[in-house]
Amino acid sequence: MPKNGSVLIIGAGIVGMKAGLMLAGASKKVHLVEKLPIIGGKVIKNEESFPNMECSTCMVAPVQQEVLQNPNIETYTYSDVESLSGSKGCYEVVIRRKARYISLVNCIGCGMCYDPCPVSIPNMWEENLMDMKAVYVPTAGSLPNVPVIDSSKCLHLNGTQECNLCVESCVFDAIDLNDSDEVVTVEVEAVLIASGSGLFDLSALPNLGYGDLSAVYSPLEFERLFASNGPTQGELTLRGSDISPERIAIIHCAGRSEVGYCSTVCCMYSFKFVRFLLHKLPEARIYDLYLDICVPGKSYQNFFTTLGEGSTTMLFTPSLEDVCVTESDSALRISYPDTSGESRELDVDMVILTAAIVPDSDLPELARIAGVELDKFGFIKRTDEGSGSTETTKAGIFAAGTVTGPGDIQRSVIQGESAAGQIMELMSTIDGEKV
Amino acid sequence: MKAKVGVYVCECGPNIAGKTDLDEIITYLSEFRGFGDVELVVRKYGFLCSNQGKEYLEKEIRDLGLTHLVVGACSPRDHDSTFKDVCGKTQLNPYLYKIINIREHCTWVIDDMDKATEKAKSYLRAGIARVLYQSELFESPIDVNPDVLVIGGGVAGMEAALALAGENRSVTIVEKNDTLGGRAGKLRGFSFQEFNKPEQVEKLIETILGNPCINVFLDSEVTSVIGFLGNFEIEHVSLESKVITELFCGSIITATGADLYETTEESGFKYSESDDVYNSMEITEMLSSGDEITLRSGKEPETIAIVHCVGREELGYCSGVCCTVMMKTANMIKARYPDIRITQFYRDICLPPSGGQELYAAARSSGVNFVKVQSTGLSGTTVKFKEKNGDEGEQFFDMVLLASALVPSKDTPALSELLGIPVDETGFFQEAHRMTNPSATTTDGVFIVGTSQGPRNISDSMLFARASAGQILTKLLVGEKLVPEVAVTEILEAYCTGCGNCLDVCVYGAIYPDEARGISIVNEAICRGCGNCYGSCPSGALRTKHFTNIQLFREVDEALR
Amino acid sequence: MKDKKEKSSNSEFTPKVVGFLCNWCTYAAADLAGGSRLEIPSSFSVVRVMCSSRIDHNLLLTTFFKGADGILVAGCHPGDCHYGEGNYYARRRFAQLKKVMETLDLDPERLELVWVSAAEGNRYAEVVSDFTEKIRKLGPNPMNSSTRF
Repeated sequence: MPKNGSVLIIGAGIVGMKAGLMLAGASKKVHLVEKLPIIGGKVIKNEESFPNMECSTCMVAPVQQEVLQNPNIETYTYSDVESLSGSKGCYEVVIRRKARYISLVNCIGCGMCYDPCPVSIPNMWEENLMDMKAVYVPTAGSLPNVPVIDSSKCLHLNGTQECNLCVESCVFDAIDLNDSDEVVTVEVEAVLIASGSGLFDLSALPNLGYGDLSAVYSPLEFERLFASNGPTQGELTLRGSDISPERIAIIHCAGRSEVGYCSTVCCMYSFKFVRFLLHKLPEARIYDLYLDICVPGKSYQNFFTTLGEGSTTMLFTPSLEDVCVTESDSALRISYPDTSGESRELDVDMVILTAAIVPDSDLPELARIAGVELDKFGFIKRTDEGSGSTETTKAGIFAAGTVTGPGDIQRSVIQGESAAGQIMELMSTIDGEKV
Repeated sequence: MKAKVGVYVCECGPNIAGKTDLDEIITYLSEFRGFGDVELVVRKYGFLCSNQGKEYLEKEIRDLGLTHLVVGACSPRDHDSTFKDVCGKTQLNPYLYKIINIREHCTWVIDDMDKATEKAKSYLRAGIARVLYQSELFESPIDVNPDVLVIGGGVAGMEAALALAGENRSVTIVEKNDTLGGRAGKLRGFSFQEFNKPEQVEKLIETILGNPCINVFLDSEVTSVIGFLGNFEIEHVSLESKVITELFCGSIITATGADLYETTEESGFKYSESDDVYNSMEITEMLSSGDEITLRSGKEPETIAIVHCVGREELGYCSGVCCTVMMKTANMIKARYPDIRITQFYRDICLPPSGGQELYAAARSSGVNFVKVQSTGLSGTTVKFKEKNGDEGEQFFDMVLLASALVPSKDTPALSELLGIPVDETGFFQEAHRMTNPSATTTDGVFIVGTSQGPRNISDSMLFARASAGQILTKLLVGEKLVPEVAVTEILEAYCTGCGNCLDVCVYGAIYPDEARGISIVNEAICRGCGNCYGSCPSGALRTKHFTNIQLFREVDEALR
Repeated sequence: MKDKKEKSSNSEFTPKVVGFLCNWCTYAAADLAGGSRLEIPSSFSVVRVMCSSRIDHNLLLTTFFKGADGILVAGCHPGDCHYGEGNYYARRRFAQLKKVMETLDLDPERLELVWVSAAEGNRYAEVVSDFTEKIRKLGPNPMNSSTRF
C-alpha cells in the first residue's frame, strides 16, 4: 500500500480531538471514530473542571466545532471499529457506522422530532437521572447537534407498531427509518487509541449502599446533578424529590484497594464537589471521609487548602473497608473507624462516592480487535512507558489518555500530543530512515 | 465602485421561514434607503448550507458581481466557515461577508411572529450596515525555520531532541553543565519504571552525541532570545571560553529541570552536615551506585527514618513523586538489609499510578513501620513528630532520609525574563492553558517540558518532552509556511504615543515598543485578535481588524433604530 | 435631566438593550438558549465580539449616546477566558466606567457585566430577561436627542 497520509483515531474525547486537530493541521487525513452519537468525551459531562474551576463546555466546545469543521478530519460518530489488520505503516480498518436513522446532512438540529415521539427511555449520558425520547440527542448542546434513534426502543424499529410520528414531524426529510448500518473500509498508516476509561462498579461494594440507597451517588451522577444543562438544571436536589440535602458526606477511595491503585484524580474532584456544594448550598454541612489526600502536582494541593477552614470536615479513617452506609430513621447513617480505630457514626442526607477509574468495559474487545496487549490492570500497555512513549505492544498503534490508566486532563492531553508527535515521526520515515 | 450587497436569508425550513414573514422582510429591506447609494439584492433560499445552497450562493456572488454579502441564517458557530469558504471560491473577499444569526437569536427565542419579523429586520439591517464598513483582509503566510533550540540536556531535553532531529530539522541542545543527563543521569536510572537501569540514560546520551542532526553545547548558557514562532534569533555563550554563538530556530523547548527543596531551621529541621541525614538524591545515588549503605562513621545503620512531605507545607504543593521514590528506597534497603528497621513518617500517601500502590503494599508487608503524622521536625537524627491523633513524640534513628519536594530550578526566573514566559504562583513555568495546552506557553513557539513546568517523575518528564515535539512536528512543517490569524490588531502610528499600556495587557507578547519612533508595534504573526489592547489605548491608536469601532457602531445604530 | 425623574413606570415602555457577548462563552450560551427555545425579550440585541476585553469605554458610552437604555456585557467566567485573562481586564475597565456614568447622570445600573458560560443557556435567558426588566423599571435613557449623537 502506498503511503496515504492517513491516521485512525479511536475516541473523540479531548485527547482524540486534540491529536486529530494537530495531525489534520499537518495535512494528515484523520479518521476519527466515536462510539457515541456525539463527540467531546467525558470532559463535557463536567460543568467545571479542576483546578481552575473552568467551564468545561467553554474549554471543549470550540475544539468540538473545529473538529467538525476541519476538512482533513472525517468524523464517524455512533460508529465502531470492527476490524483492524495489517502492520506498522499500513493498516486496513473496517468501521461500522451504526444506523442513526437521521441524516447528518439534512438534519439541522431543530429538535422538532422529540416531542411527538411516544417512547421515553432513561438517558444514560445523564446517568439515568432523567428520561429522553427514543429519538434523542444525549444533552442540550450536543455536537454534532443531530439526534439518533434508539432502534431497540423505537416502536417502529422494534416492530411494536407502525409509528411514524418523528418522520411526520420532520420537515427536512432527515429521518429515514429504513436506514441501515454502513461499513466503511479505510487504509491508514498509524492508529491512536484514545477511547477513555470507565468507573469502578460501585455496587460491588455493598457496604457503601450504592444502588440500594437512593441518596448514595456516584461521582458522575453528582456531576450531572450539578450541571446547569443537566437533569435538574443544576438544582442540587435528592433523587426523586425536590429537597436539597443539608448534610453531605463524600467518601473517598471507593474501589481503590479492589483495583490495586490510586486513581489520583478523585481527591481533586471531591474537593471540586465541596466547592459546588458550598456554592449552591452554603448552609450545608460537608464531610470528607478519607484515608490519604492525594493531590500531586504543582497546582492541586492549593485547590484543597484554599477550600478554607470549616468548608468541609475532614474525617480520617484508617480503614475504608470498615466504612458502612445504612439507612437510618431520618436519612443515611455512616459508621466508620476513627483515627484510633474506634467506631463512630455520622448521619447525613446524601453520600457521594469517589470511584476508582477502571478500564472501559469495551476495552478488552477493542484491544482484541487492534491486537494490542493490556496491562495487569486492564489498561493498554505501552512498550516503552518508562521513557514516555505512547506506542502500544503493536508497532504503529499508539494509546493516549485514560485508556492507558487513570490521569487528569492535563496528562491525557500531553499523552495525546506525544502520540501525535510519534505518529508524525512514524509517517515521516521510509524504511526506518527519517526524511 | 458602487457597493452591491447581497442579502440572502436562509429559510431553514420552518425554523426561520415559519417564524417570520420572510416576504415582508425581503420587501422591507429591498426598499430600505438607509444605506445611501448602495444597491441591495435581497433574496431567500431554502437551505443555504446545503450543497445546492452553497452553489447557488457562489453563482449569485459571481453573476451579480456582489461586493458584499450578508447571510441571514443560523449561528456563526455553525456555518460562518461554510459561507466564508463559499466567498473564498469567488471574487469576494471572505471578510466582506457577515452571517446574521436569525435562528438562534431571533426565531428560536421570540414566539410572536410580528416581533420576530421586526427583530430579523433589525439584525439584517445591522449586518448590512456593518458589512459595508468591513475591509478586505488577506492571509499573509510567513516562512518558518524548522530547527529547534532545546535549553537543558537532561532526559526531557534529550528525548525531545531525539524526537525532533532529522535530515531537515536540526536541534541544538544548550546545557549549562559539563555533561548531558541532568538529574536522572545522577540517579542512574533509579526512578525509571524498573529498579535499576543505569544504562538507559547513558544510552540516550550516546545516541544524542552520535546524531549528526543534533548539536550539543555544554557549559553554555542562552543569553539572548528575540523573534517569534518560526523565526527566533538566539545567542548562547560558552561559560568557559566566553565565545558567543548565534543560532536561528523556529521553536524553543525549555527543559531546565527542577531542584530539591532545602530544609530550614525555621521549619523545624535542625541538623548539620555531619549528621546522617540524606535527601532523596543522595540516598538514591548511594543505592544505585551499588555501594553499601553506611553511616558516616562507617557502621551499618540499624534504624532508618523516612520523613515525607519535606517542604510540602511551606511550598503549598505536593510533588507527587516522593512517595513512590521512598517506597522504592525502603524496599531496596529491605531487600539488601532485611534487619534494618525502617519507619516512614507520612502525612498522606500519594501514589499516582504505574505501580506505586504495589510498592507501598510491598513496603508494608516487608515490615516497614508507617506513622501517620500531622507535622514533623528534625534535631540531628532525632525525628520529632505529631501524630494524626495529636500525640507528640520523639524518636532517635541512626539515619534519616528526607523526601524533599521538587522546587523550580534556580535558573527559572532569569529564563522567564529571557524568554518572556511567565511563571505561576509556585514559581514553575506557566502553561498556555493548564489543562488543554500544558506544554505550550503564552509565547507561541516556546515550550516547557519536564520538571521545568512542574514536579513529576522521569517518565512523565519524557512524556512531556515528546508532547512538545508533537506540537512542533505538527505545527512547523519543513518547507511549509505558517498562516497567522488575519483579524488581528494594528496600531495607527499617527495616533500612538508609545505609552506602552497595550504592551502590558497583551498576554501573547505580541506588542513591542519601537523606541526609535516612540510608538508600539503589533507583531501580526503572534496577535490573536482578542482586542484586549484596544481597551487599554488612551489615544485610540489601535484598530482590531474585523471588530473596529465603526463596524460595531454601525451594528449598534441599526439595533437601536 | 436627572435619570431618577424618568422612573415614572410606564408599562408600555420597551427598553432597547444591547448585549455585547464574547464569542467563546456567552455567545455559545445564547445559541444554547436558542436551541432550547427559551424566550428572550425581542428588544434585546446581540452584538458579538471576540472577547469581553475588546469592549472599551468609547464603545459603551457611544452605545448609550446612540440611545441604548441598557447595555449588558457578558463574557466567560473569571479564569475561563479563551485568551487567558481578557475578562479580568474587562472587569477592571468596567469599574472605572461606572464612575464616569455617574458624572453623566446615567444610572450605572444601566450597565451590567456578567459571566455566562457556554453551558449556561438557561442562565443566559434569565440574565437577559432580568436585566431587560430592570431597565424597563429604570425607564428610558435620560439623554435626550440633543445630547445624543
